[in-house]
Amino acid sequence: MIYPLIKGLATTLRHCVSKPITLQYPEEKRQVYPRFRGHPELQVDEDGRLKCVACTLCMTVCPSRAITKITPAEGPNHEKYPAEFVIDLTRCIFCGFCQEACPKAAIALNNKYELAQYDKRVLIYDLEKLRAKS
Amino acid sequence: MINLTIDGKALQVKKGKTILEAALANGIHIPHLCYHPAIKAIGSCRICVVEVKPGPPRPQPACTTTVAEGMEVITQSERLQDLRRELVKFILVNHPLDCPWCDKAGECLLQDLTHELGIDVVDYEAVKVPPHIDYESRLIERYATRCVTCGRCVRVCRDRVGASAINFESRGYFTELGCGHVPLECEFCGTCIDICPVGALINKLFKYTARSWELTKTKTVCPYCGGGCNYEVHTKNGHIHRVRSQGSLLLCGRGRFGFGVLEAPERLHQPLIKKDGQLVAATWDEALDYAARGLKEVIDNAGPDALYGIGSPRATNEASFLFQKLIRAGLGHNNLDSPARYNFARALAGIAAVFGEAQVSGVALGSVKKGVYQSPWEVQEEAKGSGFPFVLGNAHHLSHADVILIVGADVTPEMPTYGWRIMDALKNENFRLVVANPRKTKFDRYANLNLRYQPGSERLLLIGLMEAVLEAQPGYSPHLEAEGFEDFKKTLLKTSLSKVAKQAGVKDADLRQAGKLLAQAQAPAIIFGHDLMAQEQGQDNVIAVADLFLLIGQPCNKGSALYPIAEKNNTRGVCDVGVMPNYLPGYQSLAEGGGAFAKLWGKPVSDKPGVTLEEMLDQLENNEPEAPRALYLLGGDLVRLLPNRQRTERLLQKVRFMVVQDAFLTDTARLADVVLPVAIHAELDGTYTSTDGRLGCLQAALSPNGTRPDWQIITELSQRLGYPMKYGSAPAIFAEMVQLMPIWAGIKEGHRWPHKKISVSLNGKFVPFSTEISIPGEGKYTLIVGKTLAHSGSYTTHAHGPQTIMPGAELKINPADAQALKVNEGEPVKISSTQGEITVPIAVTVEIPRGVVFLADHFSDTPANLLTSNSNLCRVQLQKG
Repeated sequence: MIYPLIKGLATTLRHCVSKPITLQYPEEKRQVYPRFRGHPELQVDEDGRLKCVACTLCMTVCPSRAITKITPAEGPNHEKYPAEFVIDLTRCIFCGFCQEACPKAAIALNNKYELAQYDKRVLIYDLEKLRAKS
Repeated sequence: MINLTIDGKALQVKKGKTILEAALANGIHIPHLCYHPAIKAIGSCRICVVEVKPGPPRPQPACTTTVAEGMEVITQSERLQDLRRELVKFILVNHPLDCPWCDKAGECLLQDLTHELGIDVVDYEAVKVPPHIDYESRLIERYATRCVTCGRCVRVCRDRVGASAINFESRGYFTELGCGHVPLECEFCGTCIDICPVGALINKLFKYTARSWELTKTKTVCPYCGGGCNYEVHTKNGHIHRVRSQGSLLLCGRGRFGFGVLEAPERLHQPLIKKDGQLVAATWDEALDYAARGLKEVIDNAGPDALYGIGSPRATNEASFLFQKLIRAGLGHNNLDSPARYNFARALAGIAAVFGEAQVSGVALGSVKKGVYQSPWEVQEEAKGSGFPFVLGNAHHLSHADVILIVGADVTPEMPTYGWRIMDALKNENFRLVVANPRKTKFDRYANLNLRYQPGSERLLLIGLMEAVLEAQPGYSPHLEAEGFEDFKKTLLKTSLSKVAKQAGVKDADLRQAGKLLAQAQAPAIIFGHDLMAQEQGQDNVIAVADLFLLIGQPCNKGSALYPIAEKNNTRGVCDVGVMPNYLPGYQSLAEGGGAFAKLWGKPVSDKPGVTLEEMLDQLENNEPEAPRALYLLGGDLVRLLPNRQRTERLLQKVRFMVVQDAFLTDTARLADVVLPVAIHAELDGTYTSTDGRLGCLQAALSPNGTRPDWQIITELSQRLGYPMKYGSAPAIFAEMVQLMPIWAGIKEGHRWPHKKISVSLNGKFVPFSTEISIPGEGKYTLIVGKTLAHSGSYTTHAHGPQTIMPGAELKINPADAQALKVNEGEPVKISSTQGEITVPIAVTVEIPRGVVFLADHFSDTPANLLTSNSNLCRVQLQKG
């Protein structure tokens, strides 16, 4: 009769002194693996230019229609580049299809995962917000 | 029929077909690259190879091997796939990986082949070819690096378009398409872009704007010339990005590159009303109320006759029908006409004078089909027809004619579709082409005989031709039943041939040879156009043409007919549906045909013919009491379009109240009291009738963006004028219209009227015509005002594509004349006539003979009709500007 009670208390006491398994988010951030699929971002080449050629394959393949707008334009050397590129992060499901479809390795998912905002409009990313910062 | 099996499937195929045609027609896929149904197969890519038994032990190209009885064809085998794979790999050796930004991606034949054949690696290497990319040419970009040297563009340009603007350069592996390492200088029809299986030719207007899979395709009809080409408009997010013709891919530059008119910044999107002499923006209700009030005031004060209606050859059949209904049933008179009066209506009147009025019998009214464009009139076994519509030719049959006489027309600019048919006819080795024009035109290079006559002397030339026919075959008599032939010979054909030839400025021998060709012809066709019809005596000119056709025509033979060229997309339709003072819809006479109309409309139809547009302007000039006080224009920029601009402007200012419906603030709209903006082109539903009577159906692909279709505006106005007409859609109007037009029996989308099952009995009478030739004005030079290939009417002057080709008016002049004036290419010259003067830069060309100059009438900033007085010809003085 008393034995199970002691066993239960022992478990409780053990957890009082052991290291907690929960993370004190947002003070502490979870470390993710390098291949974690986070927010999409547009890659730049060594000269800092966007690799994207506005082929719209990512927009075509996107299953949740998170990539809402790509406006292509012609550069001075007849190259094609995106004049506008809009991703609605509230729609993104982080599947990584865009990364897979991209023929120029111009879009990739980074390791960021935070999405909580007071205003949803903040999560609609334009070209400036999408450009990889590294 | 030939029996054969393809992949074990037994097929019956017409003799002369190739294996590839037979397979594609029966849903069997054979990979191919250089083959296209619109052009002759040459079997150069060898990707369509198939095994043929009985036959040689090696694979044969399916596109050039014709079917034979008992043939067994295998299209898929390991060996064939290996061969195809290797062939495609050879093409891919140097093909750049531009797919992400190549506009062809998604509809590229090479991409499809690569996927189909499962090619992942190209294990060959070759030296790189120099990247010759032509960014300089207008409207078209050429990427030699992407070219697969299939020769489709070269063949379509040479054999179908007739321009021969591009060809192969270099040899073997280094072959590339080009035109002598200079930018393209061609007709800019752009057919090569669409026929290219890869992205070697790129449309600059489409470049980088959309991917092929993002586009929504809507079938509609080209809004420019009378050819009535069916095409698809490709739209994305409410914007038009390109147009493309299905099937043959043939379109002219205006059609292919002229869609920018829809989004032109000058387009009106809001109604305008006149306040204190200024046109200011208003809401639709304000503008319609203002228009109705103004018109009503005139009607109340001066009677309904005081309102004159002017239709537009740009309006759909439905809008035109409602327009004439408003005038005929609402106001009870026939005072309406369209600008076609100055060209195509003359052709109809001239041909009607010789071949009689339109008659049709043996057609019965069946059930009215709602929601579709189809006539309820059924053609019975005993259906018969006669009169002028039955002399007008079917464009599809033009290539069956054995002699074509082109007189007073520059075919390709005026109507490219006829040009393509002539190119088809030229494949027949017995075909002969006679081109008569004061200027050198495109078809001179294909003609067996050129007759370069003096401007304005068409009737003398035609008399000469008739005399030459009679001289070539003594005792020659018309094939058709014809009255008055003997009298005609005695009166009009009495002058000697050499005298007529001299007056017309052509050689006797040429005239005799032309006569011989026409006399021997089994299926002669005559094409005539703007140059001939737009003269003051245009109707006499047409009568002369019709007389010649009565002499030589054999309408029982396919292709033998008269082919007048209607200037605009619905010029023929406007006349067909009764926007004419003397005909009810379907060319029914006012005296006899009114009953059916009165019954359906519940209002009597006046049998008193109205006044023509020409007569109406004369009434205004002479301040006659019958002159109209108000005008309702359904478009039709009279000020720019009609000869003698100053007079037209002055006369229109005399009108008390003027309502104009147009897409742009044209020179005529500026004079109006109310301007109502209309939907055009891909914003419209409805039908157009092409020059040869074919019904083309429009489908709206874009929202009208503040504008309204013509028919909606007419219904709104009719309600405010006290004669309410209510229709829900364009097909509802069409249903009422065709019910009243027995002559359109059997018509439906893509079909022409008169119906082919109506048996034709034609007869005619030789009608005399005046042989007086006079060109108004004074001066050393004869000015011809005409049409160019880059533009159609004034609409295309608002579109970026055609403006790139021809940004403004230029005076075409002979090099010797330019030298005498000491003016160089591109320098301005002052042209003055008795009516006015304008300054335009010159374009020196040998196309124009000495003493003649040519000016296009599309541009409103350099209005050609400021110089003319009553015709498209006038004498002018030139001076260095």
